[in-house]
Amino acid sequence: MHGDDIEINLFDLAALSAQQLSQVKKQLDDELEHLTASFQQLRAAQAKFRECLRSIATGVSTKVQDKPILVPLTTSLYVPGTLADNENVIVDVGTGFYVEKSTKDATKFYEAKVDELGNNLKDLEAIIGQKSNNLRVVEDVLRQKVLSSGPGPSAQPA
Amino acid sequence: MAEQQQRLQALSEEYQKLEGELQANIQSRQRLESQQQENKAVQKEFASLEDDANIYKLIGPVLLKQEKTEAIMAVDGRLEFIENEIKRVEKQIKDTQDKSEALRMEIIQIQSQQPGQGAQAQVAA
Repeated sequence: MHGDDIEINLFDLAALSAQQLSQVKKQLDDELEHLTASFQQLRAAQAKFRECLRSIATGVSTKVQDKPILVPLTTSLYVPGTLADNENVIVDVGTGFYVEKSTKDATKFYEAKVDELGNNLKDLEAIIGQKSNNLRVVEDVLRQKVLSSGPGPSAQPA
Repeated sequence: MAEQQQRLQALSEEYQKLEGELQANIQSRQRLESQQQENKAVQKEFASLEDDANIYKLIGPVLLKQEKTEAIMAVDGRLEFIENEIKRVEKQIKDTQDKSEALRMEIIQIQSQQPGQGAQAQVAA
């Protein structure tokens, strides 16, 4: 996107009119909002995978082999049952495909997912930090501009 | 003067329409991107599976067992389709951008020809 240019053009920022500056600011605002929303979605996805890991660890092990469990048929109707297979689970790998995996492999699968998302989150965090910096710089220049020019003709943004 | 004003109005409306189109195109581009990512992840997952792994496909509410080769083919086919779609949408995006840029230039030109009346149809790029 265009945000990266701003770092290079820092010195040119002063040359922009107040109107152009507020456009740049608006664009940065939008980008930042979008990125923050993505960040939250990634975090939610990561939490979901962690939940799967926990479910495998506590719900599908030899410990629960013969214990009765309540299986939800609807959100308010349960039937008792026992786990027929405590070694294999079926994992949703995306786009409607499901793969039967041993609990060990499934754990590995989810751990890899969590790590992958963790890396994405880190990258995204760096980008968000950079963008916020850019935004702050633009806001500063804009403020100075408005202050120094007073109620000039360019002070009314479109 | 009124004629020019009308022309400006029409151009602005068309410009708005193009911007809307552009937004829609960008959205479908983004949707394709996430589908591509998901399919690539599945492809990678399939590549790391044993040949006799049990793969199921969700059809409606039921899971149907599927051959690995079949599943791989399905995913490959989808990826190819998505790639073509991305190319198509990107071309659309570019065309729309070119068109709206040309329109913007025209609007700016007309606006600069009538000093003192800029306030009516400000084009915020």
